[in-house]
Amino acid sequence: MKYLFKILWQDQSRSHLLWAVLGTIAGFVLLLSGIHFYENMKNVLSTNKDLLDPEYIIINKRVNISQTLGLGSAGFSEKEIREIEEQPFSNKVDPFISNEFPISAFTQSKQFPNFYTELFFEAVPDEYIDVKSDQWNWSEKKEFIPVILPQDYLNLYNFGFSQSQGLPQIPKEMIGLLQFQVILKGKDEKRTYPGKIIGFSNRINSILVPYDFLTWANDKFGYMEQEDPSRIILVSNDPTDPAIIKFIEDKGYDTIREKLKSSRLNIILKFVLSFLVAVAAIIIGLAFLIFLLSLQLMISRSAEKIRRLNKLGYHHREISHPYIIVLFGLLMIVTLFSIGITSLIATKLSGAGMEWSLPIEEHLSANIYLVSTGLVMILFALNTFAISLSTRKLCS
Amino acid sequence: MRYRLENLIPLPMVELNTSGSSIWEADSFSFIQGETYLVEAESGKGKTSLLSMMYGLRKDYSGNLYLDGNNARHFNAKEWSVTRKNRVSYIFQGLELFDDLSALENILLKNRITNFKTEKQIVDMAEHLNVAGFLHKKSGILSFGQRQRMAIVRALCQPFEFLLADECFSHIDKKHEDAALKLIISESNRQNAGFILTSLGNNLHEFDHHLKL
Repeated sequence: MKYLFKILWQDQSRSHLLWAVLGTIAGFVLLLSGIHFYENMKNVLSTNKDLLDPEYIIINKRVNISQTLGLGSAGFSEKEIREIEEQPFSNKVDPFISNEFPISAFTQSKQFPNFYTELFFEAVPDEYIDVKSDQWNWSEKKEFIPVILPQDYLNLYNFGFSQSQGLPQIPKEMIGLLQFQVILKGKDEKRTYPGKIIGFSNRINSILVPYDFLTWANDKFGYMEQEDPSRIILVSNDPTDPAIIKFIEDKGYDTIREKLKSSRLNIILKFVLSFLVAVAAIIIGLAFLIFLLSLQLMISRSAEKIRRLNKLGYHHREISHPYIIVLFGLLMIVTLFSIGITSLIATKLSGAGMEWSLPIEEHLSANIYLVSTGLVMILFALNTFAISLSTRKLCS
Repeated sequence: MRYRLENLIPLPMVELNTSGSSIWEADSFSFIQGETYLVEAESGKGKTSLLSMMYGLRKDYSGNLYLDGNNARHFNAKEWSVTRKNRVSYIFQGLELFDDLSALENILLKNRITNFKTEKQIVDMAEHLNVAGFLHKKSGILSFGQRQRMAIVRALCQPFEFLLADECFSHIDKKHEDAALKLIISESNRQNAGFILTSLGNNLHEFDHHLKL
């Protein structure tokens, strides 16, 4: 092998190989650090949201003028609901139900100002409710209707309404003392039940009553035409999934954007990453070409010597070995340097992340090692193939 | 091993006058292992072509060439490589030495394929041909006669059933020619090999067969 090297390695210019190595390292570093950055930003996004806590997303149709004029439906048809259910990001989907009869409420109390209001109720299955209370249930024998209000309502009252009207602020815990009467008006029956606010929801922006109650009441009092549900609640285990926001936008639905911020950020991140990967792929592709051409150049410069070796009884595969060994060595250098440089970048990035209190991993993930090994193996295989092909051609 | 030629002729020579040739004119001709052949002809009569075909370097011929009954036309690269490693050795007219390697390195490059000779045996053979002192010189700076002798030593550094020598004494004086021929014949006998020498036709040595191309 020593003599083969000596023969084949003579009068070879090595500078183009150096450029091939540098180019490949540059492409690799770009690709690997891109992956590292993406993985960590994804982690940062999911640690901001609680990863273990699935996201509850409420979807409604965007209100437009045709609905105002009574031309289009603001409700979700059964088909549309099924379509949402079939999306890969949906773990569970349920429509809201609402009252199909008029409801009003009034208070008669010494501590609180009296009021009378028309009202609506909505209900979703209990598992979506974020208020844990043993009073959240319904049977006909129950002496009051439990109600959950949005947290925002209490805030509006406490920090807006009450101050401007000279009314007392009400702490959350006191709200249970507020007694009010709910009038359920059926076609030819009218019943009054006491109501009681048992909690405030951050999750669902509506006046909620137990699902069992509303189905029972609709059954008993309902006479208005049943409309398609106007809101859908869905649970997703991965709220960062960019498919959610895309689906909602494509369908012309609406939701509370804040909740899907991470999904949107994820889209941007993926976009940036694809750009990086594309650039890295171009660089690696070019470097691969330089590799290929350099080796081909070396082989054709040694064409006469290769033929001579073949005449002496060397098989073309044996003649390929020195080139393959050189290739292997260069690719090892590429791997070591690009992982080394990427590690260095990761360490710097982690340090910078610390200052911004972003938890960026200092070490490279197994994926990065896998990707680089895989790529190097592909480069090695393709080049080896090209080398054997051209030495074989020279020897035939 | 046995070479059998059936109506064998290189394509460029098909149109030429080959009358009087004991090979190109023969329907069938065999080279038998263990015997020595002297093939004499003027330039351009196809001496090198004949050996090149027998060594698998030329495939542009009509007729057939058999090695132990196997048609050489169907040999693949691997089979030729094995043949050149273990069965047939060739002393090229153009020598095919690497100028950048020393003479010894050139010989070792061949010898390491089969590790047939020890380095001592190689030096002994070179001494026999009076070129041992040049073994460590780059072969590019040696005279053609010295290089020819190095090529002879190299050709003996492998097992062979036939040794093909293409005008391998052209630049060697009579004294060294005798020594070289003696070395070749003794090695061929030791290996019970056939020896085919081409020559322009002033060779006086004893061969089993004298052929005219």
